[in-house]
Amino acid sequence: MGDKNFNAYQMAQSQFDKVADILSLDEPTRQLLREPLREYHFSIPVKMDDGTTKIFKGFRVQHNDAFGPSKGGIRFHPMETIDTVRALAMWMTWKCAVVGIPLGGGKGGVICDPHNLSMREQENICRGWVRQLAKNVGPINDVPAPDVMTNAQHMLWMLDEFEVIHGGKQPGFITGKPVGMGGSLGRTEATGFGVIYTLREACIKNKIKIEETTAAFQGFGNVAQHALQLYTKLGGKAICVSSWDQKDQTSYTFKRDSGINYDELKKITDKFGGIDKTEAKKLGYEILDGDIWIEQKVDILIPAALENQVRGDNAVKIADTVKIIAEGANGPTTPDADKIFQEKGIFVIPDFLANAGGVTCSYFEQVQSNMNYFWTKEEVLTKLDNIMSDAFEAVYNTAVKNKLYMRDAAYVISISKVAHACKDRGWL
Amino acid sequence: MDEKTQPADNLVKELEERAKELNCLYKIEEILNHSELSFEEAFDRVVKSIPAGWQYPEITRVKLEYRDKIFTSENFSESDWFQNCEIKVNNNTAGIITVFYVKSVIEFKEDPFLKEEHKLLNSIAERIGNFILHKETFTYISELQNKQDTATDEQKQKWQVVLDMLRKTDKPLFNTIIRKLLHNLCWQEIKEAQQLLKEAGIEQKSDNDYDDDMFDENKPLKKKSVNNVQFANTVISLADEYISDDEILNKLQKWIFEDKCSGLVKAVETLETSLNEISETLRKYYPLISNGDLSPSIEKGLKVSLIRRFFTDQTEYISIAKEFVEISDFYELIDRIILPPKSYGKLGGKSAGMFLASKIISKKTRGSDKFKNIKIPKTWFIPSDGIMQFLHYNELEEVIEQKYKEIEEIRREYPHIVQIFKNSDFTPEFINGVSVALDDFGESPLVVRSSSLLEDQFGAAFSGKYKSLFIANKGTKAERLSALLDAISEVYASTFGPDPIEYRAERNLLDFHEEMGIMIQEVVGTKIGKYYMPAYAGVAFSNNEFRWSPRIKREDGLIRLVPGLGTRAVDRLGDDYPILLAPGQPNLRVNVSFLEKRKYTPQYIDVIDLNTNEFETHKIRNIIAETGNEFPGIRNMISIVKDNHITQPIGLNTDYDNDDIILTFEGLINNTTFVSQIKFLLETLQEGMRCPVDLEFASNGTDFYILQCRSQTKSREIQPDPIPRDIPRKKIIFTANKYVSNGKVPEISHIVYVDPETYNDIGSKEELVEIGRAVSKLNKILPKRRFILMGPGRWGSRGDIKLGVNVTYSDINNTSMLIEIAKKLGNYTPDLSFGTHFFQDLVEASIRYLPLYPDEEEVIFNEPFFRKSENMLKYLLPEYSHLEEVIKVIDVTQSAEGQILRILINAELEEAVAFLNEPMKNKISELDTSEYVEWQPSSYWQWRYKMAERMAELVPAEKFGIKGFYIFGSSKNANAGPSSDIDLIVHIDEKNTDIEKLNLWFEGWSECLSELNYLKTGYQSEGLLDIHYVTDEDIKQRTSFASKIGAITDPAKQLKLGK
Repeated sequence: MGDKNFNAYQMAQSQFDKVADILSLDEPTRQLLREPLREYHFSIPVKMDDGTTKIFKGFRVQHNDAFGPSKGGIRFHPMETIDTVRALAMWMTWKCAVVGIPLGGGKGGVICDPHNLSMREQENICRGWVRQLAKNVGPINDVPAPDVMTNAQHMLWMLDEFEVIHGGKQPGFITGKPVGMGGSLGRTEATGFGVIYTLREACIKNKIKIEETTAAFQGFGNVAQHALQLYTKLGGKAICVSSWDQKDQTSYTFKRDSGINYDELKKITDKFGGIDKTEAKKLGYEILDGDIWIEQKVDILIPAALENQVRGDNAVKIADTVKIIAEGANGPTTPDADKIFQEKGIFVIPDFLANAGGVTCSYFEQVQSNMNYFWTKEEVLTKLDNIMSDAFEAVYNTAVKNKLYMRDAAYVISISKVAHACKDRGWL
Repeated sequence: MDEKTQPADNLVKELEERAKELNCLYKIEEILNHSELSFEEAFDRVVKSIPAGWQYPEITRVKLEYRDKIFTSENFSESDWFQNCEIKVNNNTAGIITVFYVKSVIEFKEDPFLKEEHKLLNSIAERIGNFILHKETFTYISELQNKQDTATDEQKQKWQVVLDMLRKTDKPLFNTIIRKLLHNLCWQEIKEAQQLLKEAGIEQKSDNDYDDDMFDENKPLKKKSVNNVQFANTVISLADEYISDDEILNKLQKWIFEDKCSGLVKAVETLETSLNEISETLRKYYPLISNGDLSPSIEKGLKVSLIRRFFTDQTEYISIAKEFVEISDFYELIDRIILPPKSYGKLGGKSAGMFLASKIISKKTRGSDKFKNIKIPKTWFIPSDGIMQFLHYNELEEVIEQKYKEIEEIRREYPHIVQIFKNSDFTPEFINGVSVALDDFGESPLVVRSSSLLEDQFGAAFSGKYKSLFIANKGTKAERLSALLDAISEVYASTFGPDPIEYRAERNLLDFHEEMGIMIQEVVGTKIGKYYMPAYAGVAFSNNEFRWSPRIKREDGLIRLVPGLGTRAVDRLGDDYPILLAPGQPNLRVNVSFLEKRKYTPQYIDVIDLNTNEFETHKIRNIIAETGNEFPGIRNMISIVKDNHITQPIGLNTDYDNDDIILTFEGLINNTTFVSQIKFLLETLQEGMRCPVDLEFASNGTDFYILQCRSQTKSREIQPDPIPRDIPRKKIIFTANKYVSNGKVPEISHIVYVDPETYNDIGSKEELVEIGRAVSKLNKILPKRRFILMGPGRWGSRGDIKLGVNVTYSDINNTSMLIEIAKKLGNYTPDLSFGTHFFQDLVEASIRYLPLYPDEEEVIFNEPFFRKSENMLKYLLPEYSHLEEVIKVIDVTQSAEGQILRILINAELEEAVAFLNEPMKNKISELDTSEYVEWQPSSYWQWRYKMAERMAELVPAEKFGIKGFYIFGSSKNANAGPSSDIDLIVHIDEKNTDIEKLNLWFEGWSECLSELNYLKTGYQSEGLLDIHYVTDEDIKQRTSFASKIGAITDPAKQLKLGK
């Protein structure tokens, strides 16, 4: 493989190097944080349905646990590489640090394609994974979660195997469990609400009254829906939302200048975030081209759909009225677009911070599981608000103090926090 | 017709008349169905029922004369205004029925009776004739029966009584029996009998020269034997003397029985007998057949003839069906056929498939409880000539020429045709038949399906081309009848719709007369709330042509499962998803991740709304909320989504209104015998029908119904393409020999090729993302379904997009084929996705998937073609021209001088090939000159037939002593497949033929043709000719293949010999 080709791990490292330069980190710190603390590579033998035995390759990377037990998902992917897992583990470290929850970063996976596996075979892979790592993971060491091609079912199998091996109930071993089986309430709302908590704080800092703002949303999935719900509850006026139309295989922007009523729109939306066009028309929504959301004369843009939606070609169309962009989706902005934001002086709440509500809620799930006492939804969301607001404050202050772009500030603060923790522990 | 111009009240009046006539016919049918009634009782009632059916009942009088008796209606008197009709039994007039109007009516013109009334009277007379025949036969049988039962000590008298009776009533049979009796005595070496036989022989011989002096004969018996009575009496007394009474009686019975059956055999074998007559004959003889044991050869012959007359001449079908079908099956079948008068039609492919499948199942599973809940819904059939009679009756024959019009014109005119058909009439006989069927069905909803004759002949799948109509079948009998007739006429009209005609034109089938049978089937289901529907329904295939994992084998099969009516499983709708399952590997699912499982589930359900009498589509979640636990087996069909977790409902706690419910059929799949039963069913039917099958099914929650069954290879979409062997290497773009699934790919004009190597070299994520966006744009601008997408590894990768281009389904939804290239990079070969990221979207849109392994041996991957062809990217999408090194857009037509890319796929051979080829449209009529063009099913036989013609022309007939040259079998009957033989009969002059030389001549041809066929299709065989020599003597004796010459059914066709 040539040097040129894209490698997630190299990319994560160079991103780290850039911030390390800003922070002028010393060499040992760079060396420690550039690479994972620990890696486990192992084989999982599985008896297949047809009687044969197949050996699957499993990984677990614990990038850094200076702040607490490692936290990160388990991926099932046929082309999984250790470099991808390393990169993702590193990002988890920074993500936990930016919101200031006492967890480290980890990631794991198995090389397999669940499309070629029966449920029984998948269960055996899950249990096999836990058997290989039972001593090295756990509520006080490393807490797995669902990721690509794994879900609540896989987590429950893993938890069960773990508890059998350890001879006791330890629901805090894993997160992503269903409510009633050790899961936390508020999980569906967490990411969307988190976006708005940070937006609210950003408005305050930028001396904007949120109740006087207007906003355009991209996407109407889980994140966008709850973000819109809370935004309108806080008095903001959402004037349009774009959503994917499964039947037409394209997206449309639903616009109503008098503002969107969340409950009303939710009623005509299917499980996948598709809005019924006919019903929407009846309610007085204009149905426009899917890309038009970005051109609206609003104060706030909230891209909450897929990655790479705001690019050089369409960022130029952003209206001059736009003051804040809150990234609800993962990686919605390309570097080209970032440059345009900076030129236009738009305040950006980076994805890294804005959508950290999800990981924070996972942390809450673990906390509740450990004490085997579960909070009400209000309790979860209030605690979430506190954590997100504090995190925003910290990133904002760092940005202002050091004249950094918000995206860079978020990295700076999380890496410096981790570096400090390592030093405080006497590792460095 | 001028109906439209008539004032409305006239129209109403006319309609009332039709209803009256129907009622009358119906009543008479009812009376005559009581076979226990005596003639007197029955006829008395019949004449009384008739007046009500006529226009002026109060002045209508009826007289029925039968033999020497007369029956009359009430207040009978005669007048000058009358109509009459003879009652015929076995073509002999047995009576006459006359209808009088006893008072003049103002409107009377020359003929006071309506056209319809004449027809009605004819039908009544015919029905009475049948009744008499049936009854007489019955009397005759019971007489015999009585004699058998009563006489024990008077046995002697008894068999003689039988013979006496025969002597009086049936002379030929009597003679036959006497002769048989005599033969029997001879075998027992009774001297007198031998003597008698000898003389009888001489006697017969001397019949011709009666006046000759028989000088060497001196036995007095000779002269006496001329007297038949004497001869017979002698035989009888000999028999009485030497054979026990019991034995004689037994033999007598057997002979009489065989003689009777020969009547049936004759009736069925003669092509002149109509289905109506066959049905009558079968009804008449059935009590005989079911009691006695037919000799196996007669039975087999009878079965074959019946199969041929009711279903098809196809030898494949017959050879299978005769093993599973019993004569009794036909006896049951004829009661469920609505016969137009004098029908010579067949029931069509769909009906044939269903009939055979049901017999295979019942025969193969006797004694096994695996199929105990498997049923076939109640079905009535209308033979294929029903439509022709409908056209004649309404003088609509010109519609037949519709098919030769321009397709646009057909499309424009079609709605009018539908209207005309719906406003046309059926014959009273037909209406009566439908009415009887309707009584049998009761008020359960019905589906009217087409059962085309072309369907089973040419490997052409007409499914979905002709209409299937659902009717709720609610209301008064008259309303229901009119709705059913309406549906039948609409299905008839669909024969002339633009889609089937276009489809037939494409396959060169236009000139074949399309006649369409109809199946009226009870809709399987239950009433749930105001809806009627099956709990679930679907389609199952023996071969899986959409394998989503390399672990799934083709033979693992495929099930498409939906809630409600099966229409949504049969059709591909694009935006709705049936549950897919491989019965051989039920645990390997298409959709695995949480999001996939949630997205790819049925969203809609087809039902019959009993309030509106309509076939409707509803959102599944609304129906479930509305019906809840009332929906049979609902708990086995649904899963509940909660917190990113999908669970099965347990107990009664499901909240159908508020829970997030999706249809997964998990309970059905995991906790019931459903999957194993379907698997077993597919295996059984595949074994029975000797080919992979395609099955439609439905369940009402308790029983499992088979709705349709046919050979899977019949459907065109998944027919394997022939793979020519003589494609020049330089024209081949790529080949594949792993995980190949059958499917048709249209001619390709553009290729989008994402180069695996340069893609791998891309350094930034942004650029990788851009590739996906460029592909998405190309997807929008390239001609839909005329381009293919080829790219590295896993299309649709998210996250690790280095593994494959980052696209969603909407970015590729216009391609005709998605190709993943597993090109070795360094030391590893990437794992392909098999399209799993949007597999089901591909299936529903019929986008084919093909994996390529270019580094493997014996695989061609024409890299220079991709390298050297001009890249059109910069012209099409200038903004992406910097990606030129990675994305290549090749305009095939431009780079290959007007040629297109043709992709042929054959899963049986596990091979696919893509090559540059001339476009088809210019060459459609020059089949034998065009190279490597895709062969339509019709070209297999056309080519064979043409070759046979050439051979006949070229063979030196005089030199070899050839007198005739005939072709028969599949090449003549237009149903040859890629591996079929060419069956020839060569009539030779035994004395002048040098068989060895002739053989040599044919062998040469045979080898050459076989090689040609291999090159064209990829199917290998040892010689393609099957030659049968026949002599004058053979033809005279009609032995073996000679019998094919001039045969009544499926005769061999003579070809012209050259000079």
